[in-house]
Amino acid sequence: MKVSLFIPCTVDIMMPEIGVDTNTLLSNLGVQTLYHKEQTCCGQPLFNAGYRDHAKRVAKHFIEVFGEDDCVVSPAGSCVCMVKYHYPELLENEPIWQKRALDLAGRIYELSQYIVDVLKVTNLGATFAGKVTYHESCHILRGLNISAQPKKLIAGVEGTQFVELESSTACCGFGGEFAVAYPEISEAMVREKAANFVKSGADVLLLCEPGCLLNISGYLHRNHTGKTALHLASFLAQNIKKV
Amino acid sequence: MHPHANKFMETARKELKNEQSQMFLLMVSLGAPILRQIGMSTFADIAAAEAYSRAIRADVITRLPELLEAFEKNAVSNGAKVLWAKDAAEANHIILDIANQRGVSYVMKGKSMITEEIGLNDHLIKNGVDVFETDLGEVITQNLKLHPFHLVGPAINVPPSEISEAFLKKGIIDEASTDPVKLGGGARKYLRDKFRNLQMGIVGVNMGVAETGTIINVENEGNIRLIKSSPKTLVAIMSLEKVVPNMADAVSMIRMLTRNCTGQKITSYVSMDSGPQKCDEQDGPEELFIIILDNGRSEIYSDLKTREILKCIRCGACLNTCPVYTKIGGYPYGATYCGPIGQTLTPMLAGMENTSDLYRACTLCGMCKQICPAGIDHPSLLLSYRARQIELKNQKGKKTMQSRGENAIAGLIALGMSHGWLWSLGINLTRPLMNSMAKDGYIGNIPMGAQGWFVCRDLRAIPKKTFHETWDDLPSRPESSGNTSKKEDS
Amino acid sequence: MRVESIKRPPKPVLSELSMNREQMVQRFGQELGGRTGVLYQAANPQAALRVLSDIIKAEGLKSFVATAQDICGVDIASLGEADGISVSFAKDFTDRETLREAAFKADAGITSADFAVAETGTLGVIFNHNHPRLLSIAPPVHIAIVDVKDLYPVYENVVETVFKNTNEMPSQFSFITGPSATSDIQGVEFKGMHGPKKVFVIMIMS
Repeated sequence: MKVSLFIPCTVDIMMPEIGVDTNTLLSNLGVQTLYHKEQTCCGQPLFNAGYRDHAKRVAKHFIEVFGEDDCVVSPAGSCVCMVKYHYPELLENEPIWQKRALDLAGRIYELSQYIVDVLKVTNLGATFAGKVTYHESCHILRGLNISAQPKKLIAGVEGTQFVELESSTACCGFGGEFAVAYPEISEAMVREKAANFVKSGADVLLLCEPGCLLNISGYLHRNHTGKTALHLASFLAQNIKKV
Repeated sequence: MHPHANKFMETARKELKNEQSQMFLLMVSLGAPILRQIGMSTFADIAAAEAYSRAIRADVITRLPELLEAFEKNAVSNGAKVLWAKDAAEANHIILDIANQRGVSYVMKGKSMITEEIGLNDHLIKNGVDVFETDLGEVITQNLKLHPFHLVGPAINVPPSEISEAFLKKGIIDEASTDPVKLGGGARKYLRDKFRNLQMGIVGVNMGVAETGTIINVENEGNIRLIKSSPKTLVAIMSLEKVVPNMADAVSMIRMLTRNCTGQKITSYVSMDSGPQKCDEQDGPEELFIIILDNGRSEIYSDLKTREILKCIRCGACLNTCPVYTKIGGYPYGATYCGPIGQTLTPMLAGMENTSDLYRACTLCGMCKQICPAGIDHPSLLLSYRARQIELKNQKGKKTMQSRGENAIAGLIALGMSHGWLWSLGINLTRPLMNSMAKDGYIGNIPMGAQGWFVCRDLRAIPKKTFHETWDDLPSRPESSGNTSKKEDS
Repeated sequence: MRVESIKRPPKPVLSELSMNREQMVQRFGQELGGRTGVLYQAANPQAALRVLSDIIKAEGLKSFVATAQDICGVDIASLGEADGISVSFAKDFTDRETLREAAFKADAGITSADFAVAETGTLGVIFNHNHPRLLSIAPPVHIAIVDVKDLYPVYENVVETVFKNTNEMPSQFSFITGPSATSDIQGVEFKGMHGPKKVFVIMIMS
C-alpha cells in the first residue's frame, strides 16, 4: 500500500510532530509513505476569507502536487473537506480542472478514516492506562461523517477507559479567522469546551483536527495548567508498545 | 426593520456578560435539541422525514412562480382579495389604506415577522391607527420596545420584574407581579375587550396552499383564531416564499415545523382559511385581503445561489443549535431575523455593506445545515457572501487603500502557498519574529496582527523545523515487528 | 387545478395508520391528556348528556353557548334553565355583534366536532353557517362532542376529505388540540392565554 501524505499548514508549521506520528502509524501498518515537498496548504484560509481567486490558484497547485497519487491521507478533516467539496466548487468554471478535482476527491482520506475503513485496522498496538475523551470536530463529523472510526481506534487502545465528553459535537470556537476576528465569542465557546473536558474527568482530550487542537490546547495552557489535549495520531503513536 | 448589524460585537460583548441572557441561552442550547429529538421520534424514520420536507421546499423553490400564480387564482376564486406589494412602503400603504377606508381606530396583530421587517406598526401608529400586538412575546417586546431575542420566543429572556414594571405603567396589570401566569393573565384581560370590539385584524401566514388558495396559521395562544373570527376585515400578509403545492404537503410541513420549532407534535391550533366567510355565517371576516410581499425576495430568487434562502419555514431550529447564537442571543443581529437564518437573509435584504459581521461571525460548524428541515446550506451561503464582498471591494472604482492592501496580502499568501520554496522562506522569516515573543515555549501575545488569538489563549512557540524540514530525518524503517516499510521522497 | 410536483423521495411512513379503533381511542385520550385536555367516552347520546351535565357542575359553569340544540344526538336543549344555567344557541343570535358579545361572555362553548385525529388528540372542526368560529375560542372552557365514527388516525385522512372538492371548501377549517397555551415568559408554560383554558371532549362510542 502506498500513501501520499498531505500534511496541512497548521501541522507543518506549528505541530510537525503530528505529521511524524501520522507517518509512524502508517509505516507501522506496512504502508509505504511518500511526501511531496512541493505541498504547502490547501488554501482553506483564503477560501474562507472570501479570496476565491487566490484560493483557486492554491487549489491548482495542490492538484498539480497530488494529482497523480493513488491515495492521499491527511491528519486534518477540514483540509480534506476543502479538497473534496470546495475544490470542485472553486473550479466549476474550468471543466478540465474541475474534473481533476473531482477525481482527486475520490482518492483523499482523513487519517482515522483511512486506517479503519481502508486498512481495516483498529488496534495499533497502543496501551494507555487512563481515561480519555474525544471532541468531535465539525468538519470531521458533519463534513466527512467520521465519528465511529476515531472511537474505534480509541477503543483499540489497551487499558484505556473512554469517558463521554458533554456536548462533544459542539464547535470549539476555532473556525479559522473566527478565533482571531471574534475573540470574545470564540472564548465563550472554547471556555465551555475546556470546562466540559475538565468535568469529564478524562486525563487527556483527543481530537482529529489540528485547528481545534491549536485552539483548545492554547486555551488550556492559559487557563487550565496540567490539562492536555492531543491529536489522536500523537496519542496512538506515543503509546505504542515498544518491542 | 432597520438593521443595526454594524453594532454586532458591541452588543455581543454586552450579551456575553449578561447573566440573564446567558442563563436562557444555556437553557435553549441544552433543552431545545432534546425537545426536538423527542418530537421527531414519532417518525419511524427521522432521516426520511427530513429528506421529505427538504424535498418539498426544494420543489417549492423550483416552481415558485407557478405556485404563486395558482395560489392567487384559487384564493381569488375563494373570494379573497389578493394584492401584491413590491416593498415595505407599498405594503404599509395598502394596509393603512384598508384601515382608513373602514374608519378603523385600532388593529390587532398576530405574530408576523414580516410585519416587523417592514415596520408596519410604526407606520400605522404614526398615521393614527393604534396597533395591539397579541402574541404574548410580541406584547412584551412592543411594550418594552425590545428587539427579538429569539425567532420563536422573542421575549423569553426578559426578567418578569421588567415585564411587570412595563405592564403596570400601561395598565395591563393592576399590581406588580413576577409570576408569568399572572402577567399573562393580565395581558389576556387587557386584550380581551379589544378582541371583542375588533373591526380589523392582521395576521401573518405560515403557509399558503397553491392548490386550494388556503392560508394556514399555526399557533398555541389562540390570538390568531380570535383575529380570524371576530372582526369584519382580515388582512393576511405573507412573503412570497410561503407557499406549498397542496394540502398533503402542508400537513407534512406542519409536522416538521412544530417539531423543529418547539418540539411540539402539533400546536394547539392550526387554522386554514379558504377565502372570507361565506354568506349566512355568523362570524369570520366579510373581507379577506391576502397581501403577497416581495421586499427584495424576487431579487434573491433570481440568483440561483441565494434562492435557497427562500426555503426557510421560520422554525428557529438553526438558532437553537448555533454555537454563536447560543452564546450571544438575538440582539446583536440587529434585525428581525437572528441566528443563522438572520445571517443569511439580512445581508440580502439590507445589503452586504453594513452586514459584514453577519456573514463573517460564523465558524462554519454546519449544525444549522444539519438540522434545517427545509434543507438550507447556510455555511455555503455565508462563504459565498464573503467571496462576494471581496469581489465588490476589488471592483474597478471600488478599491480603497485598505482593500488594495488586504488583497495584496492575500495575493502574497497565495503566492507562498503555490511554491514550496516560497512557503519555506516565508516561514523561516516569520518564525524568529514570533518566537522572540515566546516565554517558556509559549507566546502569550503579539504587538500587532492576529492579536485576537491571544485574548484568551496562548500559542506554542513555532518549532525550529517544519515537517518539510523534518521529513528527511525520519527513520526509513520505524521499529515494529517484522514489517517492511519504506518512506519515499518525491 | 392539480399542481403536480417533481420527483420526491418516499413519503415518511405514518405508523399511526396501522391503529385499530380501540388503539385510536386510547391514543387520542393519551395525547389529549398530555395537553391537559380530558376525553370522556360515552356509550350513547344519553350517557353523553349525563357527562356533559357532570362537567358543567364540576366546573361551576353558569352559562354556555352551544352550536346547536342537538349535537350528535345529545339533547343540549334539555340542560339549563332548570339548573340555573344560562343556555343559548348560535341560531339565537341574529347578528354578529350579539353573537360575539355572547361568545366572549359565556363560561363555556359547547360545540360539535367534525373529526377527531388520534395522532395527537386533535379535533377537526369545519366552520360554516351551522358552526360559528368564536364558540370554541372565546370562552374559557371548550366542550366538544364528537362521534367515534369520525375518529381517524392521522391529519391526512381528514384534509383529504375536507379539501377534496375545491369548489366546496369551508371558509375556515381548524385543527384544535387541547387548550390554549404559551411559554413566552421565561419558558414557563401555562394554559389559557387567549383561547380556552380547559378542553373536554365527549366521544360517543355507539
